[in-house]
Amino acid sequence: MDTLALALLAFFVSGWFVLAGADIGTGMLLPYLGRDSGERRLVIASFAPFFLGNEVWLVATAGLLAGCFPELEGALLTGQFPVLLPLLAGWIVRDLGLWTRGRGPGRRWRALCDGAVTAGSWSLALSAGWLLAALLTGRPYEPAGGPVAVLTALAVAALFAAHGLGFASLRLTGVPYERTRRLVGRAGRPWHPFALTAVLLGGLPLAAGGTLAPGSYTADPATLRLLVPAVLAVTAGTVAVQAWIWRLFRHRVTGPSYL
Amino acid sequence: MNPDVLDLARLQFALTAGGHFLFVALTLGLATVVAALQTKATVSGKPLDARLVRFWGQLYVINYAVGIVTGLVMEFQFGMSWNGLTHYAGNVFGASLAVETIVAFFVESTFLGLWIFGWHRLNRWAHLAAIWVVTLTAYLSAYWILVSNGFLNHPVGHRTENGMLVLDDPVAVLTNPSALLAFGHIVAGALLTAGFFMAGVSAYHLFRRSPEWRFFGRSLRIGVFLSFPALMVTAVFGGLQFSTLSTFQPMKSAVFGQKTAEIAQIQADMVARFGPGDYVPSIGWTRGAGLVMLICFALMMYFTFAGVILAFFRTVVFRFRPWHVALMAAVPLPYLAMISGWVFREAGRQPWVVYGLLKTEDAVSGLSAGQMRLSLTVFTTLFVLLVVLNAWLLVRHARRGPVEAGGLGHDDRGEGPDAPDPADALPAARY
Repeated sequence: MDTLALALLAFFVSGWFVLAGADIGTGMLLPYLGRDSGERRLVIASFAPFFLGNEVWLVATAGLLAGCFPELEGALLTGQFPVLLPLLAGWIVRDLGLWTRGRGPGRRWRALCDGAVTAGSWSLALSAGWLLAALLTGRPYEPAGGPVAVLTALAVAALFAAHGLGFASLRLTGVPYERTRRLVGRAGRPWHPFALTAVLLGGLPLAAGGTLAPGSYTADPATLRLLVPAVLAVTAGTVAVQAWIWRLFRHRVTGPSYL
Repeated sequence: MNPDVLDLARLQFALTAGGHFLFVALTLGLATVVAALQTKATVSGKPLDARLVRFWGQLYVINYAVGIVTGLVMEFQFGMSWNGLTHYAGNVFGASLAVETIVAFFVESTFLGLWIFGWHRLNRWAHLAAIWVVTLTAYLSAYWILVSNGFLNHPVGHRTENGMLVLDDPVAVLTNPSALLAFGHIVAGALLTAGFFMAGVSAYHLFRRSPEWRFFGRSLRIGVFLSFPALMVTAVFGGLQFSTLSTFQPMKSAVFGQKTAEIAQIQADMVARFGPGDYVPSIGWTRGAGLVMLICFALMMYFTFAGVILAFFRTVVFRFRPWHVALMAAVPLPYLAMISGWVFREAGRQPWVVYGLLKTEDAVSGLSAGQMRLSLTVFTTLFVLLVVLNAWLLVRHARRGPVEAGGLGHDDRGEGPDAPDPADALPAARY
């Protein structure tokens, strides 16, 4: 059960980096990819059907930590309090921008929301990098400091942006699409850059998480015996539905969506 | 333990949980109504039914979308500010939280995305199934959160090993009366909130003599006829919870009844059992909140009872403008009752976070007062912004009434120059 719990944790956290990384990265590049309100709406439409399903992978990670590794959850979240603050704040601001962009009045409102999406996406990516810096340097219970933290945060944020760029180049059409091509280049098959950044983003938290030694913090066996099979079954079903949603919306976007 | 940190952490939890609940109350109730409306629309295929789904669905989505981010903060807050709780009770309390996030939050968000964006891309029965999955997982979510909260209020099914709780009897945890009764109370309260909301919004349009009188007449009736039974069920579960208090949490019961002798007696008993300390919760908050809840209940009871009778008369529904004004003014009542109910439940069990086992002061994380102050400022600012924004957007879209262009359920397929989308081959959904 301990191994399964660990595998689930690895799956959820990698899943968040790969899936949410794509829409966060695209959000970071929103001002570059879309130069006017209409273009930016198209860019947002490229990840609109997915982002709600993507972001909950991190909520599921937190839930799994609380259920299967409760002591680790408390120690890690308290220790990384200053990192989680901008992460959560960025998340809130970004989601607000996305959801309310099309619901408020006027051009200025939409510009404000676009700004919120971009700033929130950067805040999320930089905080995730800051968190990884603490894990990679082997001191997971205090926020990382110094140039190492700054460089890691910037590098991880750049990786998010590259991932988002690869995603956007597979989803967009028209002028925003041409902009992605200018950065991505034309080497290899169209999906190659996205696959590469996906592997890097998915592997990074696994490499960093090793320093936490989560295996020594598992919850009581009585709890795991009930929790792990239930989570496993539901996860399998939900992943299947999410895969189907990706298939349903696999075509490039040509026009705006609900957002 | 720094007393400032404790107070700040408690204040942050109270404000964020209260803020979160403002959204939850309407989301849970309105999801049910929208799912029922869409069932009717799918079966009947009538345009009016379909327009009802789109209008009320739009308001539901706004409320959900702005509210979901408040839930994120709640999920992370336990570990961030209350790691004493995850350390001591994680084996029991953490498990139900985990199931809530994965079984409910994860599934609910996945299907809600499918419902919002899949409007004209899914077969209409599959689309109907999506909103029902969203609704049922919202109920599951409420159930699992109340299993967690019920355990904190009335811990059962556990034993202590090495100074930590372990799960002993999962069935006892899942059927904890403190969780089940609260679940019934909350679900009915959420339907009540949705009923008042629908009636209030519809009354606004009827008061303004909207050309959409048929649309809003039907909506007003749904709201009023939903409110009355929902209120009765809420009250029954509330009464049942009151009757368990004398055994589960006698101190809360004594404080609410202002029985001074009983309070002193229980305080002495608790000192004998748990050592020296103050075991009396804030009388002002506990009794005050309990009374506000009961006053709201009384007001809503007379109001909904009269409403059920009035709503039978066509002319009254369309023409009785004082009633329209009253319906609009009554929209905040269920919210007020819900928040004061939570204050009564949570403030009244202090100083315990896990009743009789772990004190709140022993659960708070070892953070500095500066960190806690910063986090309180950030989250309070954001939550105030969220509540204001939500209210503004709800009012904006509620006042606009049903619109044909744009918004939820708008057919956004193939607007570009080339749309090689095979989904286009499907017949357009009938709503």
